[in-house]
Amino acid sequence: MNEQKLTKLLNDLADATVEPVRPGLTEDIKRQIPERLSPHKGGTDTIHIVINLRISKLAAAAVIIVTILLCAGLFGGRDWTSDGIVDGVRDSLAWLGAGRADVLAVRSKYEDLVRQGRHVVYYGDNIAPGDNSAILMQLKLPDGKYRIVFGDGSTRIVNAEELIELHSRMLLNKTR
Amino acid sequence: MAKKAKLTEQNTGFAHPISGQGDADKKGKYLAELRDSLAARLRAGDHAAAGEFVDMYNEQIFLFMRRLGHDRQVSEDLTQESFLQAWQHISQLRNGKALNGWLYRIAGNVSKLYWRKHKGREMASIEGADIDVPENSEAGCDIAGHYEQLGRLKNAVAYLPEKLRQAVVLHYMQHLTIAEAAEAAGVREGTFKSRLNRALETLRKQVL
Repeated sequence: MNEQKLTKLLNDLADATVEPVRPGLTEDIKRQIPERLSPHKGGTDTIHIVINLRISKLAAAAVIIVTILLCAGLFGGRDWTSDGIVDGVRDSLAWLGAGRADVLAVRSKYEDLVRQGRHVVYYGDNIAPGDNSAILMQLKLPDGKYRIVFGDGSTRIVNAEELIELHSRMLLNKTR
Repeated sequence: MAKKAKLTEQNTGFAHPISGQGDADKKGKYLAELRDSLAARLRAGDHAAAGEFVDMYNEQIFLFMRRLGHDRQVSEDLTQESFLQAWQHISQLRNGKALNGWLYRIAGNVSKLYWRKHKGREMASIEGADIDVPENSEAGCDIAGHYEQLGRLKNAVAYLPEKLRQAVVLHYMQHLTIAEAAEAAGVREGTFKSRLNRALETLRKQVL
């Protein structure tokens, strides 16, 4: 009996607490509907995980940092005690960031120059990114000299003799 | 105030008395089909369906926020935030049956995050529950007593622990079924029933 009475009272309270919504709220919400309702939104997944797992932002940040360090350790091929982690991170960033981006940019430039009919040679497929003694690309200039782009992204203008010397050194390094 | 039809649509959730069982069955079937179709269209990224979804639920979510103790302005903001979150998590909507539980779960999380960020903030009272006792003497003591009980109940609900208050609001005031409300609270049905029982026990002691 008491339970029924309480249930009825709660239902009455629900009726008594119905409030009008501000006119315009519905339109405000509708205006925020994205043009494309995408079933997958990568950027908000992390927030969702935090909400769903009910873990604090601090704990989530700690998990993300540990994951990054672990991945860096794996890519670096070092143990992840002492200085190994730092070296691993540096190596990974060098490969994923500067070194690789330079190779791709030079490759794109090479294709562009070929299309222009310039005398250009690309060695990028055979050299290690970041190697400052390896020739990534050579371009013959109108005055007979060569503009060289090295594996670390640095450039230098050399004459034919210097170019042969650089190639010899590169070949020697490869055979070692 | 006349209640909107869309609000009473959820009364098939068994927290309300049902007049005719046959009518209720028909209405329940119709609503289930409507929600299935809406959920499928939402999942397919249908913009018009999103508009219908807002029409169908924005008042309910606003009232849910008010009943959880947020003031009017905050309730409006949190209602908008709930829908924004809903658009971003469309992929988690399984089917029409899960529509209520899914949206109320998002809204519940939005409210929870708000309380977490504003820990010292006091709960606001619901305007409609500042109930005036009618002066007409013919209305009798029964009505006055009823309103007095409602006032006490309103305060008692407000002072319930957060999880118990949410359980009462979801089932008895938003009229979600036990399954939907449990989904919205993110717990198993058994756990939800247990919360509901504890909440009712507390309210019974304070009000009756």
